[in-house]
Formats: sequence, C-alpha cells, structure tokens
Amino acid sequence: MTDRSKIRNFSIIAHIDHGKSTLADRLLELTESVTQRELHSQMLDNMELEQERGITIKARAVTMYYKAQDGETYEMNLIDTPGHVDFNYEVSRSLAACEGAILVVDSTQGVEAQTLANTYLALDANLEILPVFNKIDLPAADPMTAKQEVEDIIGLPAADAPEISAKMGINIPAVLEDIVANVPAPEGDPSAPLQALIFDSQYDPYVGVIVYFRIKEGTMRPGMQVKMMATGATYQVLECGYLEPFGMRKCDELVAGEVGYFTASIKDVHDTQVGDTITEAARPASEALPGYRPAQPMVYCGIYTEDGSKYPDLRDALEKLQLNDASLTFEPESSVALGFGFRCGFLGMLHMEIIQERLEREFDLDLITTLPSVIYKVDTMAGETVDVDNPHNYPDPGQITEAREPYAKVSIIAPPDYVGNIMPMCQERRGEFKDMQYLDTHLVELHYQIPLNEIIYDFFDALKARTKGYASLDYQLSEYRPSDLVKVDLLLNGDQVDALSFIAHREKAYARARRICEKLKENIPRQMFEVPIQAAIGGKVIARETVKAMRKDVLAKCYGGDITRKKKLLEKQKEGKKKMRSLGTVQVPTEAFMAVLRLDEE
Amino acid sequence: MNGNLGVYFHIPFCRSKCAYCDFCSTSQWDDKLMDAYLEALIRQLGDFFLPGGSYTVDTVYIGGGTPSVFGGKRLAKLLKALEKRVSLTRTCEITVEVNPESADKALFKQLKSAGVNRISMGVQTADDAQLRRIGRIHSFEKAKEAVELCRKYCTDNLSLDLIYGLPGQTMESWLSSVEAICALAPKHISCYALKLEEGTPLWRENPVLPDDDIQADMYLAAVEVLAGKGYAQYEISNFAQRGFRSRHNSRYWDLSDYLGFGCAAHSFYGGKRFSFTSDIHAYIAGMNGNAPIVEEADELAFNDRVGEFVMLALRTCDGIDENAFYSRWKREFTPFAKRLEPYIASGHVKNDAGRWYLTPEGFLVSNAIIGDVLDAVCQE
Repeated sequence: MTDRSKIRNFSIIAHIDHGKSTLADRLLELTESVTQRELHSQMLDNMELEQERGITIKARAVTMYYKAQDGETYEMNLIDTPGHVDFNYEVSRSLAACEGAILVVDSTQGVEAQTLANTYLALDANLEILPVFNKIDLPAADPMTAKQEVEDIIGLPAADAPEISAKMGINIPAVLEDIVANVPAPEGDPSAPLQALIFDSQYDPYVGVIVYFRIKEGTMRPGMQVKMMATGATYQVLECGYLEPFGMRKCDELVAGEVGYFTASIKDVHDTQVGDTITEAARPASEALPGYRPAQPMVYCGIYTEDGSKYPDLRDALEKLQLNDASLTFEPESSVALGFGFRCGFLGMLHMEIIQERLEREFDLDLITTLPSVIYKVDTMAGETVDVDNPHNYPDPGQITEAREPYAKVSIIAPPDYVGNIMPMCQERRGEFKDMQYLDTHLVELHYQIPLNEIIYDFFDALKARTKGYASLDYQLSEYRPSDLVKVDLLLNGDQVDALSFIAHREKAYARARRICEKLKENIPRQMFEVPIQAAIGGKVIARETVKAMRKDVLAKCYGGDITRKKKLLEKQKEGKKKMRSLGTVQVPTEAFMAVLRLDEE
Repeated sequence: MNGNLGVYFHIPFCRSKCAYCDFCSTSQWDDKLMDAYLEALIRQLGDFFLPGGSYTVDTVYIGGGTPSVFGGKRLAKLLKALEKRVSLTRTCEITVEVNPESADKALFKQLKSAGVNRISMGVQTADDAQLRRIGRIHSFEKAKEAVELCRKYCTDNLSLDLIYGLPGQTMESWLSSVEAICALAPKHISCYALKLEEGTPLWRENPVLPDDDIQADMYLAAVEVLAGKGYAQYEISNFAQRGFRSRHNSRYWDLSDYLGFGCAAHSFYGGKRFSFTSDIHAYIAGMNGNAPIVEEADELAFNDRVGEFVMLALRTCDGIDENAFYSRWKREFTPFAKRLEPYIASGHVKNDAGRWYLTPEGFLVSNAIIGDVLDAVCQE
C-alpha cells in the first residue's frame, strides 16, 4: 500500500489538437511505464478510429511511478478524458476522480473554446489546475501571450507554468514536478465504508466488465461483496488492481485515494454506469457520491442494413458495441420502406457517426440510416406527455395540446472578425442571442439558446465553414420550450414513405421538404409511370417534384442471333432491380435514402 | 417455327472500324489472312455437314464486319462450298451485308451470279457530318450510288440500316434521314438506337447524345412516318414492305434452328446454343488443328426455351397468341398474361382476342416489360 501522501490523481485537459495525447505519451515514457519501443504514438488513444480522428473516445487510466527530485517515489494516476462536447458528462466524471488537472495550452494558439469549457468542468470538480504551455518548439510559439490569455481569461496564475514541447520531449520533468508539488494528495479514510467513483468501464470477453474507479473512502479487496448505489447491482469482487499501459496488475487491496479496476464476471456495462458509486454491500456508505446522471441519449436515428437479411448481424453488432458503451441505446423498430432495424440513441452527432462507422468497419455492415432526430415532448388531449424520438410516433396534430422541443445552451468562441458571419447563421437556426463577451481583444464568446434540432444536422460544419475553422463550439441541453412543430411526410406516388418522415419547426419545414423532394427526384430512376414525389403536412402538400415516366429501355439489336447476350443483359437488369426497395409501386434505390441523409453536407 | 435450317457466316473484316461498333471485326487484315479465313470457314462447313447427310437450308445470311470487304470472289466461293454440302430451297433467301464504301459494280455482279438475292446496307444517316462523327468512312452520296449499283447489277431486294440517337442528331435531322432513306425505296428498313458499348472509342469519348425522351420521340416518329410510306413495323427495329420481312432474322425470334459459321458466330441447333471464339486467329488455328473453338455452349432447359421464346416473340409485332403458345409449349399463357395486363392501361401492351403484343411505346420500354414477364417463367 502506498502512502496516501505520495499519490497524485490528475487528468490532462486541452482544446483539440493542443497536444494532450502527445504529452500523455511523454509522461508514460519518462516514468518508464512504457519503453520507447512499446510506445506507438499516442498510447492512450488506442481505438483505430480515435487515432484517425485524433480524439479520445473512451477514457483510459494508467498508474505511473515517478521518482521525484525530493527522492520520493510517487504513484501518479493519469486519468484520460474524452475531448468532445458529445462526451461532457464522461469528462466530468473522470475529472471528479482527480485532485488536479494539467491544462495544456498550445503556445501558438492560446485559449480556445474547449480550453475554457474543460477548465470550467475542472473548476466545477474543485481541481487544482496547472497550465502548461506546449509546442514551444514551433516558430509561431508565443508562450508569453498565451500565458497572458490564461491569466486574463481564465484567471489562473500562469507566469511560472512549464513551457514545454511534448512532441520534442522538451521540459517534460517540469510537468511531473509541478504535479508532485501542486496537486493535492488525496484525502479519505481507508477504514471508512467504501465509496468509489466509477469513471469508466470496458467489456472484456474473458473476464467480463472491467470497472475503472477511484476510491474516495474505504478499501476494496478481492472477495468483497460490492453494490452499485444507483443501479443496485451487487457483485463479488474477483480481482482488483492497478491499471498499466499494457494491461492490469492485481493487488490485494486498493485504498482511499487510489485509482484502479475490479472485475466480477459482470456481463453488462449498464450495471456499472459511469458516475455511479461502488460501496460495500455489507457496510454501505450512507450516501452516494454526487453527480451521477444516467446515460442519456440526445440524438436518435433509425439504423437498417442495406441487405435486409443482415438484420440479425446488426443486432449482434449493436449488442457488442453496447457492451462497452452504456450511452448507446437501441430498440427494434420496423419501417415499411426499410424493413427491420433499430432506433438508436446517441449522446450527440459525433457519437452517432462513430457508432455508424464502427458498425460498418468492424462488423462489415452496409447501413441505411434515417434522418437524426431529437426527442420532442408532446402533450396530448388525453393529458399525456409523449416523448417522441421517431417521427413515426408523432401524435395526430388534432390530438396535440402543446409540442415542445429541446434547446441547447450554446457557446461559440471565435475571433471578433467572424461575429458578422456567426450571428446570422445562429439567427437562421432560430437561435436566441443571450450575450457576447470579449475574452480579450482577439477572442469573443457568444452565448445562444438554439434548438437542439438545429444543431444536430450541420451546425458545427457550417460554423467551421463560416469562420475558416477558427470558431469552436460547445453546447449542452438546457430546456424544453413550446414550439410550432410539424411532422412532414414524404409520399411517393401517393404512398407515404415512413422512413423519410421528419419533424421540424413550421418555418423550416418548407425549405427542407423542397430539398428532400429535389434529392429524391435526382436519385429515383424513372419508372414505367410518372412518379409524383410529395411532401405533406397532414393532408396538405407543401412540396412536389415529379420523376417522369421512363420512355426508353430497349436493346436494339440481336447481333447475328446472339440471344445469350440479350438474356444476360436482362438478367443483369434484374440484379439491379433486386438492389432497389419496393415502396408501394415505386422502386427506390438505397442511394436515394443516403442522398436525403446527406442533404446537410452540401 | 421453321423446320428448315438457316445458315449464318461471320466475316470479321472491315476497312475501318466504326467508333460505336463492338461487333467482332478487325481492320488489320491482308489477302493471306482472308484466304486462310475462307479456308477455315469451308473446312468448318465440311466438319458440320457430313457427306450423306440431308440438310435443307432456306435462309443464308452473310454478316460482319463488312462482308463486301471480303470480296465478291471469296463470297461466291463460300456460297458454292455451302451448296455442295446442303440443298438450298428454290426460294432460299441469301442476304449479304455491304457497306457503301466497299460496294461496286463488280461486287454486285459477282454476288448476283453467286445467287445472292438480298442486300443489307449500312447507311445509318443521311447527314454526312453525323456519319463522320461516328467514324463511318462513306458519305450519303456514296450510299445513294451504291444503292443504284445494287439495283442495276444485283437485286432490288434491299434493306437499309438507320441509327437514331446519334451525337448532334436532332428530331429534324433524324426525320430528314428517314425521308431520304425512304426516297431510295428499299424493301426493308432497320432502325437501331445508338448504344454506347463499353470499350468502344465512342464510349470512351462519352459524347452528349439526345436524351431518352428525344430518342423515344425519334423512334415513335419514325414508326409513324415509315408506316405512312408502306413500311410496316414487324419487330422492335425492323420495318418492311409487304412480303419483305427478313426471313433469316425471323428464325432468331421464333427459336428456329440456325447454324453460325466463323469466329464469334452463334448457333441454335437441336435445343443448344453455342458460339465460337471471337479471336480470328484462334478460330483459324482451331479449324486447322482441331483446337477447341467453342466459347459458350448451353443446352437450354425447357423453361429457358419458354423464357427465350417469350422474350423474343414479345419483341415482334405479332407478339404471342395464347392458343398458339399453348399448342407449341403445352403450357398456359395465363401467368405471363397476368404480368402483361397492368401495362395495357398505360398503353404499352395490347391484347386482341388472345394475341398479346407490345405497342411501339411498349417496345421502347421492352426491357422492363419483358423482364417482368420473365419473372413469371422463373416462378412457374
């Protein structure tokens, strides 16, 4: 057992691309937790997708041992955090497991939106925040200005903060010394009833769920019956220990202040949710640690396989992903147009994209997804409030007394030059301007209330496009507000296509309906008859296009009696037809659905 | 159904290859190669028509490529070799394809004396700019001369080919081509839609073609104009004055037997479809050394034969008569009729007292309709 005064629990927080992962690598290297050879760049991001996107999706933790200049060896627990607005809750739980945070600031960029957002989260968790100024090897580095920004904007003393280059390995020991000197040692009583905060968990096919936690009070030992205070699940600890870069090291006990893992043949990550408190079943803590929130999806969409017979594979794949991702939800749904599939819930658009990509990449599935939707709340004449995550379930307009849609509190940070581009864009998306603050002379922060529905489609991309990538965005769900919502149905040749229905604000419905009709027209091949494409609210058509009837589909010549060739051509055409979906009388290629989904990317 | 036999010869030589053509032909030839090819053809005739056998042939078709490039002498020799081994009926239709640039007085005289009684000529369009555009090496004027020579020295039984949907072609220019062809008073006219076949120079160039709607209008306009001038449509692409339908091509459409000789030639004989290699040199080598030359061979199961019959018969204006269908195949037409029925309302299909046939509008979308009908064969 380590002397508690020699334990340091910390996170690294940063704006994307400011060098968080690279610094983590250097720390691991310097504490000889891994050798250079083992260190394939950016150890902590070990999912393929994470490395490509340069973001950390799942938190990881690692215990390092550092021999400090005072001659003592310290147990340093680095708890990594996801770095995207979609995962704010996970970030907050990881931070709650620490006493300190290293705030990495790019000396060439200074303070950016996520620098601020993450700092606020860390301050919320009462962490000691230690700024470090990275990338000083770059010619454009200006650590003095960056420090000034940190002092002015965040109000943290930064004058003596380490100036480093994680990439070049410059001045890294200063960071570790800073942690030893300034991050408080954990408190807590090893003999008190167990209170441990779950900050992550991961499913392993051999040992079941591996739960990552930080002990606030008490001690955990193998054999102990533990209980999750929010979910109520009870398990007997089979093994507990420390987290190392390449696996785990068992130990006999973990005590207050330490970070580690336990396994207990847990089959379901939902039993051990992030933010929940582990306690001893026989001697429970009087109360759970604060801050637990059940994982709550914000964005929903239908996911189907292009080949309907792959439906069971999709179920298996989603189940496997869910093993590691308690915030992913899915329920079977069926669509006349797309067959059997699942209505899936995600934390946000990035989460949705990641899951879709993993389904396609890791499970080799070709997917069709429906337009993403938020959850609307609808009060009906019957006095009920219905949560609508699928346009299909939207109550009949005659039955609705009030419809509400979720709003998000949005913070945008950008150079002042772009404010003129950002404001109309937020206006267009029904944003309600709150305030604007100059963070300093060259950064301004805008606050808006914007319907979540307007953010999920293309807001981030549009923002980037209008600010040359300089703006950054943070948002969180704030409230539901009454809204003039309508459900728009799409009809092909008079038959409704359920998978294409969408809910929108009345003002937005027309333009969107028109664009979808146009897209469908471009992507539906001519049929033997004219196919009207209509968008309608209730019985009222608000947009219309027509796919003209096919006039010509003929093989002109039988060359020298070559019947076989003609037959093959017809067979090939038939194959092509199989790839179409029959919607009533109309054959629709799956590309048409994709095109509608990609509407916002143009 | 024709109980006699049809014979096809493939002559894979052209003076120059047209930009849209993906048929088996080459412009790389000399007399030696042609002689070797002729020899191979004659040898194959001997291999097939064994001495002592009795074969009655009532249609012969020499196609290509450009048979006229092969020369009158070789064609005459080929026909002579055929006559030695089979008996040609008294009214046997003997057609040779020619192109305007390789048709002269001498050729026509030779063909006539060899017994040729029908000439099929590729005119394609009356617009010289369009002819050049698609790599044809003759002018319309040259085609007119060739038609005159043919009438004078060979036969009046002429068939002329036209193509619609050419790059740069408008409805006006198409109709004036149709008029110009009619003015030449052939007995038979074929109108084909230009198709960009993969791998051809025109396909690589991927030119702007009149769109499908315009092409459909061109086709329908031609059907009407030709009917008005006495050329009744009898198949998707074929029009003839009374009594001048192509008897050889009709074999293809009613599953009568035909034998194809030469490289890339196709046959349907005794319920089997087979074809030979499309490599000229491999064909010649094969005929000399008994190397295998068969590229595809397919014995048609009953269902396949029914399917092919339906596919081909629906491409003709006669269509399919329910009773005739039953007496030939011992099978009800009802399941197929069910597939055709929905197309009556849209004007694509007609049913006159049990005779089902496609209208010109129906021919234009015949792939979709026939594809639908063939599904019924599979489900039987």
